[in-house]
Amino acid sequence: MQNIIKITVNGEHYEKEVLVHKSLLDFLRDDINLTGTKKGCDNGDCGSCTVLLNGKPVNSCMMLAVEADGCEVLTIEGISNGKELHPIQRAFVDSGAIQCGYCTPGMVIAAKALLDENFNPTEKEIREAIVGHLCRCTGYDQIVSAIKKAANSLNDK
Amino acid sequence: MSNLIGEPIPLIDSVDKVTGKQIYGSDFKLPGMLFGKVLRSPVAHGRILHVDAGRARALPGVKAVIVGTEIELPNYSVAGEKMLDECLLAKDKVRYRGDEVALVAAVDEDTAEEAINLIKVEYEELPGIFDLEQAMQPDSPLVHDQFGSNIAREMTINHGNIEQALAQADVIVKGRYETPRVHHGYMEPHAVVSQWDAKDKVTFWIPTQSHVLARMTYAKALGVGQEQVRVLQLPLGGGFGGKLEYKLHPLCALLARETGRPVKMVNTRTEELMASLPRVPMIIEIMLAASRDGTLLGKKARILADNGAYMNYGPGILLSATTRSDNLYRIKNIFTEGYLIYTNKVPTGAFRGFGCPQSHFALETMLDKLAVELNMDPSELRLKNASQKGDVTPHNWYLGSCGLSDCIKNSIQVADWSSKRKKYAENKNAKLARGIGVACCLHVSGNRTFLPFFDGASAYVRINEEGRVTVLPGEVDIGQGSKTVFAIIVASELGIPLEWVDVPSLDTDINPHGLGTFGDRVTTLGGNAVKAAAVNAREQILEIAAVELKTAVENLKIENGIIYDCRSDQRISFSEAAQLASYKQAGATVIGKGSFIPPGVSMVHPETKIGNVSCAYPFVAQIAEVEVNRETGQVKLLNIVSAHDLGKAINPLMAEGQVLGAVAQGIGFALTEEMIEEKGIIKNQSFKHYNMPRSVDMPPITSILVESNDPNGPYGAKGLGEPALTAIAPAIANAIYHAVGVRIDTLPITPAKILNSLNEKEKII
Repeated sequence: MQNIIKITVNGEHYEKEVLVHKSLLDFLRDDINLTGTKKGCDNGDCGSCTVLLNGKPVNSCMMLAVEADGCEVLTIEGISNGKELHPIQRAFVDSGAIQCGYCTPGMVIAAKALLDENFNPTEKEIREAIVGHLCRCTGYDQIVSAIKKAANSLNDK
Repeated sequence: MSNLIGEPIPLIDSVDKVTGKQIYGSDFKLPGMLFGKVLRSPVAHGRILHVDAGRARALPGVKAVIVGTEIELPNYSVAGEKMLDECLLAKDKVRYRGDEVALVAAVDEDTAEEAINLIKVEYEELPGIFDLEQAMQPDSPLVHDQFGSNIAREMTINHGNIEQALAQADVIVKGRYETPRVHHGYMEPHAVVSQWDAKDKVTFWIPTQSHVLARMTYAKALGVGQEQVRVLQLPLGGGFGGKLEYKLHPLCALLARETGRPVKMVNTRTEELMASLPRVPMIIEIMLAASRDGTLLGKKARILADNGAYMNYGPGILLSATTRSDNLYRIKNIFTEGYLIYTNKVPTGAFRGFGCPQSHFALETMLDKLAVELNMDPSELRLKNASQKGDVTPHNWYLGSCGLSDCIKNSIQVADWSSKRKKYAENKNAKLARGIGVACCLHVSGNRTFLPFFDGASAYVRINEEGRVTVLPGEVDIGQGSKTVFAIIVASELGIPLEWVDVPSLDTDINPHGLGTFGDRVTTLGGNAVKAAAVNAREQILEIAAVELKTAVENLKIENGIIYDCRSDQRISFSEAAQLASYKQAGATVIGKGSFIPPGVSMVHPETKIGNVSCAYPFVAQIAEVEVNRETGQVKLLNIVSAHDLGKAINPLMAEGQVLGAVAQGIGFALTEEMIEEKGIIKNQSFKHYNMPRSVDMPPITSILVESNDPNGPYGAKGLGEPALTAIAPAIANAIYHAVGVRIDTLPITPAKILNSLNEKEKII
């Protein structure tokens, strides 16, 4: 069974028919070809699928696309302002916070959500903000440094 | 030469990854693609009596149903393995819960899944083999009837005279250790897209650690020639050893062949925990003999390794567990029996460390026990017996460089070891007791005996007419940053900006047929090959420049993309020279070619297992500081210091990243990770119940990189990624002992185990 949803993703308006049981994650990846958001577990455990829904971070694998009807979604593809990297992205690159990169989109979204609310987080607050995000490559340290660096960079602007 | 060697450099594909533009295996799509699913056995051991796929075939949207009992498929195994114990789909028997029985390809995932559920299979359940000791008995039911035994492989290591050593020893300590089944936990599940062309050649688009091993093994599995297989490697969302050959890939090819269309298959996370290739669980009984002054006299061990239902790389892992740790200290008398045993459980395979985390957990915990018996500082005991540069070990390993002692000394200094050993030894009965422990390990940089064909690496370095360079290596970047190391080497050797160098994903039709990424071989072997190819390319371009500038090649140097004549003020840009070179050869861009064959290595002797398998060996010492809560058994990690002799840090930023990530995996191995199995069924089906360390679980980690400058490594570099995991579990276990006086001999060290041991200890007192 299908329903029509109206959804804004990265500033672009979509009006699309979608299977009612399809997750928001699958809608993004399959129906509108934004594969930057990743599927790591499809169970709400790993955070790879995190997007901002009306400004709040959600595991897109744990909600239906139809639930996002009328909402604004920000995915990793929408983070950078055209060509230039967002300071969070720049900080991730410079800090060595990216190895395989699979958790990176989710981490960047989580960092944005954190820094939008808390412009000067402590290390503890940073670690708590990404506790829902599994990374198997980096051991998290360089990611935490990146987010701190991003906060400093954003505060300098 | 613009020298980037030793500079901290982010991965050259970081921007693709951080913008979401990088296409991983699970992202890859082809038009007209179908989706495939696997029907897996629900029982751990059974005979297939009857399969009815009629309703599945009739479901609209289903394009193919393939049943193992209905088709002929060859027996095969992984590269180099002679015992061909598996088949793409079960013919008559299923041997583990998850064993592949049938396949469906349909227009979408939902339809494929529905069709899978419509296939009815009748099994006659057979008694399952789950216990290692029982499986070894002659009257045990067999996992593979045709082999007559569940002992898949056995090996005996015998050096010197162990009985004499035991007789002469002042002190003997014994222990029995168990290491669990743990999963790589790569964030991207296994994925594949496969398609056949009109001339019966199949292409795989796969995240794989080895394009060549994939080609070799999948050809055998499909019953076609290697020349009929093309592998296009896609970027990996993590590997850690788990993405060498994997059955899902050729299974997908079966569906692609049947349907005549491209087919995509992706594992669910549950399938990852049920049916991928976790670490080999081991039971290790071990004895160490020493003299009163702390000299290690001998080591005796018996190792039982759980192969699971199919061989995969089990033999290599058993060999590693029975041999490698012998070379860490100067021990002359060694006797080890190792057994690789089939069970009706998920097949096990390669995972970072490859047998070393298991063997070192036993050895390093035993050493700690010995230190207590001898009333000796555990770091002193290790320093006293440590292997040294220039040693030739009983296994004939030649240690061309050895920073082990430096690693121990540096780490104990940075960790404030001596004062903490003393301080934490007091106040042992406090509710929160602190402890500090040390452990060491070593590894290889490439392993000659892993595969029979060869060891070594090759690369091509192609300079196009804009002076931009493409590196074509034989090793895959699995996320650890090898393409960046290769780019750094090439840019340095060619004297050009790093941004001018690209290292694309591998293609078996184009790249050298290198062996791929495993065995900590990539920087040492691949790096040397890339360096040689860059040097070869530089020679070619300088020849052209020399003619153009009317000077001798010896007078030329390249810096920052400009070729300078040292004798005059003449110069030509690298790009211009590259263009000239190309136009002079009617468009043939400069292609440098280089190979590296590690000197002095050999396969191990088939019986004695003696052999210098690698041209360079990395060493590690790690110190863990813990706080144990006596009331809850919980362990809080306070600090970790990791000293790693990697020969040379070509890219210290990402070398540190490797250490930090490996330590995190080691912490999981030590404290929280276990694939809980009961009668062959894996109980934890998701990350909710398979607990990998998260951001809040990590302690402060100090990484020390010791550069012992190995003569065989490129710029002195050895392997790094694997040994940084190996010593963490025993370091933590030893710290826990120091804190509360109990040794937990089975991993993971859970609060329940600590509380039980503390209670037992109380009773004795």
